[in-house]
Amino acid sequence: MSNWLDDLGLEPNEPRAGPSFIERVRHAPDDDDYPIPDNFGGLDRNLLGQDGEEEETRFQQLIRHWINERQAPDILPGQEMLLGRILDHVRKQSDDVQLLRADPDSSEDEHFRIMLVQTEIERVKFVIRSYIRTRLFKIEKYARWISANAEVHEKLSKAELDHARRYARLTEYHFNQSVLQSFPPQQRSLADNMPFMPPIVPAPDKLRPVFVHARQECPPVQLPDGTSIAMEKGRISLTPYYVVEQLLLRGEVELV
Amino acid sequence: MALPPPLRTSITPAELELIACEQLVEIIPLVAMERTAFISGAYGPLRPPAKCKVPIWMATNLKLKKKCHIVPPEWLNVDFLQDRLTRETTQPEFSELPFRFAEVAKVLLDVASDDVTNPDKVRSLLQDIREARQSKSREGVSKLDHSELSLPNLCAMEINEIRPFFVRSMGVLTQLVRQPDQGQVDEMQ
Repeated sequence: MSNWLDDLGLEPNEPRAGPSFIERVRHAPDDDDYPIPDNFGGLDRNLLGQDGEEEETRFQQLIRHWINERQAPDILPGQEMLLGRILDHVRKQSDDVQLLRADPDSSEDEHFRIMLVQTEIERVKFVIRSYIRTRLFKIEKYARWISANAEVHEKLSKAELDHARRYARLTEYHFNQSVLQSFPPQQRSLADNMPFMPPIVPAPDKLRPVFVHARQECPPVQLPDGTSIAMEKGRISLTPYYVVEQLLLRGEVELV
Repeated sequence: MALPPPLRTSITPAELELIACEQLVEIIPLVAMERTAFISGAYGPLRPPAKCKVPIWMATNLKLKKKCHIVPPEWLNVDFLQDRLTRETTQPEFSELPFRFAEVAKVLLDVASDDVTNPDKVRSLLQDIREARQSKSREGVSKLDHSELSLPNLCAMEINEIRPFFVRSMGVLTQLVRQPDQGQVDEMQ
């Protein structure tokens, strides 16, 4: 049982070049762990034609999307695939921990490793939870705008879209019941836009400035004052959200 | 269940610390541990006294249990920071520092000050650097306009610090230029 943690995420049949059998026997105590590639289980970046200059683990990707979501005024496309994979991984780690804990023979050393694995699980769960709650906050805030704009729908998962629609219906019903129905008919609409007043149906403010960091060389962007700048790699800028929106959706920049 | 209101406008320093703690740091382990698979990758094996790279959160965890020494990153020492402070006070631009230096330095000085040589001096240098940079970023407000402000070498914690004020100021400037020519803005959106 003592090798359980080593076996997490291992491909036992993976062919590997290594020392001869005798060599391996001689170094037997060191030999019971296979080299695990850093991108284990991840997509092969070469297949996608991306250069893996700085290999980004799945959890790092999630952190990047989480921060982007936290800073962006608009709701960003949901990372369902990534989230699903990380949740699977969390589940697998938790299951393995449960198995190990149930084993009365496990040594002190193993308890220690279990504790580290659990610490990490909690860290990952925190980020997942915060990511989902950030989206939930935006979905509830912009519920009516989301249900009215079909092009936003593809950024949301099915559950998120259902929630947005239900929430929009509920608030609308509530507004009608509590206030609007006692108004004269021409003032009952939620859609009217009073000059100098914030709209009743809030929409994301894409003019809001964000701090942006270029992850790679980006094509030049057009600024509000008419000039254009090249977002060279590593550049950190404060600029309105709509300027970098496309770069952000393509993953060429991140919000910081 | 939605995000609580205090977190809606900005990231908190504690969250920045959580992100920074994913970075790797070198440790000298005092206990042996087999290579173990984690969600963010496989770390180990720990074989004292061979050095090993692990995430900072794991290093602090081990350190608090007295199971390792942390090797401070090469920028966390008196010489390097003294040099940066001199540059910071003599040159107009921000000097180059690791993007998350403030968070990493805080975590390491909190749990492993005995692994850093002359921690008190390092602390006071970090404080001086912080103040020198802070006054520069305040001057940056005068360069603010409605379209873009480039902030080379600014670090995560500093960005977070100036965020509320800068975002708001730029928002006001945007409003000021937007009003006279509504059509142009609509076109840009």
